[in-house]
Amino acid sequence: MSILDYKDGSVNLLMGNEAIARGAVEAGVRVAAGYPGTPSSEIIENLAAVAGKAGLYVEWSVNEKVSLEVAAAGSFAGLRSMCVMKQNGVNVASDFLLHLGLSGTRAGMVLVPCDDPGAISSVNEGESRHFARLLELPLIEPGNFQEAIDMIKWAFELSEKIRNVVVVRSVTRLSHASGNVKVGTLPKNNDTPVFKYDGNLLDALNGPVITAPVPFKHRQQQEKLKAVAEIFETSEFNTYTGPENPELLIITSSACSLYSLEAVNVLELDKRVGVLKLGTTYPLPEKLVKKHVASAKKILFVEEVQPFLEDLTKIAAAAWEDVGVKKYHGKYDASIPTVNELNPDIVIAALTKILGIDYRPVPEDYEKKGTILSFTGAPNREVTFCPGCPHRASFWSIHNVLTLQGKGGFVCGDIGCYTIGILGAGFNTLKTTHSMGSGLGIASGFGKLRGLGMKQDAVAVCGDSTFFHSIIPALVNAVHVKSDMMLIVFDNKGTAMTGFQPHPGTETDAMGAKVNALNIESICRAIGADVHVSDPFDITGTQDKLFDLIENGKGPRVLIMQQSCALSPEKKGKNKYVMNVDESLCRGENCGCDRFCTKIFRCPGLVWNRDKSVSMIDSVICTGCGVCKNICPAGAIKSEEVKAC
Amino acid sequence: MTFGPKELQADVQQKNMCIGCGACVSICPYFKTYKGKTAAMFQCSRESGRCYAYCPKTGVNLDRISEKLYNKKYSSDALGNLKAIYTSEKSDKASKGNFQNGGTVSALMEFALKNKTIDSAILTKRNGAVSIPEIVTDHEKVHAYASSKYGLSPVVSKFNEGAESGYKKIGVVGTPCSIIAMANIRSNPTDIPDFVDKSGIVIGLFCTWALDTSKFEDALKDKIDLTLLQKVDIPPPPADVMTFTTSHNEITLPLSEMRKGIPLGCTYCHDMTGEFADISVGALELKGEKNKNIIIVRTERGEQLVNDAVKSGYIKTAPLPAEALSGLSTASMNKKKRAFTRLVDEKMINNLTERPMIVVDDQSLKNIMNEKGGM
Ligand SMILES: Cc1cc2nc3c(=O)[nH]c(=O)nc-3n(C[C@H](O)[C@H](O)[C@H](O)COP(=O)(O)OP(=O)(O)OC[C@H]3O[C@@H](n4cnc5c(N)ncnc54)[C@H](O)[C@@H]3O)c2cc1C
Ligand code: SF4
Ligand code: SF4
Repeated sequence: MSILDYKDGSVNLLMGNEAIARGAVEAGVRVAAGYPGTPSSEIIENLAAVAGKAGLYVEWSVNEKVSLEVAAAGSFAGLRSMCVMKQNGVNVASDFLLHLGLSGTRAGMVLVPCDDPGAISSVNEGESRHFARLLELPLIEPGNFQEAIDMIKWAFELSEKIRNVVVVRSVTRLSHASGNVKVGTLPKNNDTPVFKYDGNLLDALNGPVITAPVPFKHRQQQEKLKAVAEIFETSEFNTYTGPENPELLIITSSACSLYSLEAVNVLELDKRVGVLKLGTTYPLPEKLVKKHVASAKKILFVEEVQPFLEDLTKIAAAAWEDVGVKKYHGKYDASIPTVNELNPDIVIAALTKILGIDYRPVPEDYEKKGTILSFTGAPNREVTFCPGCPHRASFWSIHNVLTLQGKGGFVCGDIGCYTIGILGAGFNTLKTTHSMGSGLGIASGFGKLRGLGMKQDAVAVCGDSTFFHSIIPALVNAVHVKSDMMLIVFDNKGTAMTGFQPHPGTETDAMGAKVNALNIESICRAIGADVHVSDPFDITGTQDKLFDLIENGKGPRVLIMQQSCALSPEKKGKNKYVMNVDESLCRGENCGCDRFCTKIFRCPGLVWNRDKSVSMIDSVICTGCGVCKNICPAGAIKSEEVKAC
Repeated sequence: MTFGPKELQADVQQKNMCIGCGACVSICPYFKTYKGKTAAMFQCSRESGRCYAYCPKTGVNLDRISEKLYNKKYSSDALGNLKAIYTSEKSDKASKGNFQNGGTVSALMEFALKNKTIDSAILTKRNGAVSIPEIVTDHEKVHAYASSKYGLSPVVSKFNEGAESGYKKIGVVGTPCSIIAMANIRSNPTDIPDFVDKSGIVIGLFCTWALDTSKFEDALKDKIDLTLLQKVDIPPPPADVMTFTTSHNEITLPLSEMRKGIPLGCTYCHDMTGEFADISVGALELKGEKNKNIIIVRTERGEQLVNDAVKSGYIKTAPLPAEALSGLSTASMNKKKRAFTRLVDEKMINNLTERPMIVVDDQSLKNIMNEKGGM
């Protein structure tokens, strides 16, 4: 079922990201672009699935900055456009976003960043809210699933009113949870895109789209923001629940508004505590907030990570002479933590402390017992690579070669499935991880430290999608400065971590059309690196290449390790080998092995048979990649090729 | 008390005492050897293991292995337990080769393979500065491994590999540290039931020190084409140099410079003559004599091989001049004295520490330190 299939006006169970995508189509979006990143990816995926039918252009761009530029083109040509990314994507796009805010847009343009407080599927807790303030753009935040669809539609209208980008921020708990949503009607929209540029320099709708004259444009942008603040004052997305003069007022937004309402409910404080849920968070609707602050004695800000609403309110309150002194609680008095996700329990804890309520959700000894049981009773589940994952084989070779070379060589990486190379799953091989592509930049720097006497070998790793996203400039740099280091591209043929979205190296685009795949090997060669290719499942061949390249190579070297992801559609259900363990050969607990395969190599496909004290293959989850037969010191793991019928 | 990989790493590898013999390699997947260096690939959680028990650089009980091999306590004599000592060289039946000295070692190994005293031989070849041990089964190939490689050779890893893959009478040629490891292995320190000694003959090379492979490489890589290296020699004193011969040229470097590449582990080594071998072979350093060996016969099977090899025309022996004998004894005793003094000073021997490098009877220790040993 696609997002077009819901009947006008019907109520459906939609995932937050589906609601956002449906809202965009209802608003008549025609251009959508993004870069995959959890928890945002399903928005573009849902739009791409209906692109043809709904007359949209949808793309997975090479990176977030380019995706924002692509979406801007749609707006400049008179089509409503949307751009989607995860929180840190906004950092990548921010350079263009700064300029776009100044130049302004034409047809409605909405930027949807999906934040990940608690870093559930991220390596940072970055927040896109602060970009709105920094770059002077309006910010709105849906607080539930219905708002996700309704606010997107409103955002397009708002954008057209002020001719600038509107930021609609989602979070993991909204994007990835599902709720009932009443859908609206689908528009008929087939405007022909035209880019008008003949008007004069200052003509926002017909002239060139530029940021100059800067002071003029900047003032214009700020005036637009003032107008937005006025609109926000009466927005229906700002709601208040509670008594007229609450003892304590919670000011909140987004998913935190649900945690707040639940906490008040659990503590039965609906007569004492009021909740002001703001849907429009930047610029702050000051008059509205002032009115509510004035009505209460104490204020508690419930928001995730850094203070945003709290700061904006306190700054505004400095001018509220008639409101009197209030007691503020939030980040600064540590009522609410500044890291990690919030939940109703955290809000309950804050409320009970501030209001001096004695509340214990469960008896103390029960809680203790629960804690002990959850530690001792629950099976230990480690973060690991999937069975048959090429990254396990790749890290195996890299680890073994670097360890044997014994010169303290190490690997610099970034974010991708392979980030867990820091852990036992990747034999603790990865030693730095930061933003996309940063492994190579760092390795390029380490490679130059050779001149200052550094002896260790620096190896960078990246995925194929990352290669296009942000490795290329770093590789150009490494070649330019002749850095002594090596780049390993884990080419698993797709943006695996976020769900196999296509990228410039794949043969289809976001909408499923056939495109020419860019060849990573040729690109590296054209840049001037010494380029080699290997199959990570060929352990011996790969290690030979690694030994040679790390030891004898000079300058920037590239090894492309090609092997599709174990979960890739082309591999699913197609095992190359049937694996089994010869129990008579398996050394089990005996000296000289110490259960090497299940303790060290640890593919989930290999399990320890406690009754017999031998290893065995879990044939249900083994993908038949055949790699483990190379690592058994006793040759006990056997493979048999599966014959195609 | 038995120990395992954790203690091995703490006592030997982390203290830079490892001389890369490879005794801990090829018995499990955790230790591997590469370019003369032994690396712990992963942390193994076993509390006791053969790796620790076999290592010649920790927990070596000289009396225990001596008793297992010779049925008597460790001899504090300069040259250890011996049956006979001669000068020797290869004879007509043995193949020609690029021998280090008299070619005795190559000739003995060729003969032993041919007459099936052994079913395989662990011999060391050269790849630049890197010493690479290999399992050789064809007697016609033995001469190709002739000449001394000064980089540490993980000989014992190949013995382990050979034993694992089914060879039953393996001939081993190694420096004294590898021979101590072999003695450890042969004495079955972990009490493996149905233990079988898979060594057929063990030949020890005299040794004062060897070189760390990467330091060896670093010292030479800008001076000669290492791939063409054919021979390395230390001419007898007072030359005080080391010579490197390639197919193109020969260069000479001061010994003092090369000594910087001696691994730390060698500086604690007491054994110059491979005291736990069946046969030990070194250079005869005597004025007017070139290309001859000194050979020490220590065991019955050693004696048998030497006698048969002489009878079959593979080697010839002659009485050792007294001057050479006293020269060798002094050098050997000096090495023992130096090492044991250092071990005592640094509290690394007997009950001076929890896990000593060497355990030996106090009387023997005293004898050596007071230089009362000797012939
Ligand atoms: C590191 C080292 C230091 C030495 N120091 C001394 C010394 O101080 N005084 C002295 O008298 N003699 C020393 N020797 C012994 C000497 O160099 C000769 O090896 C010995 O005299 C035998 O000579 P040969 O002509 O019979 O040997 P060859 O017939 O040439 O045969 C040599 C044999 O030694 C093996 N071999 C070569 N290098 C190594 C190695 N690194 N590890 C293990 N096996 C190896 C080869 O496989 C070959 O079988 C040393 C040898 C080595 C390897
Ligand atoms: S073949 Fe071995 S490594 Fe590959 S999935 Fe199966 S168990 Fe894992
Ligand atoms: S000296 Fe030999 S046995 Fe000891 S740690 Fe080194 S290689 Fe292993």
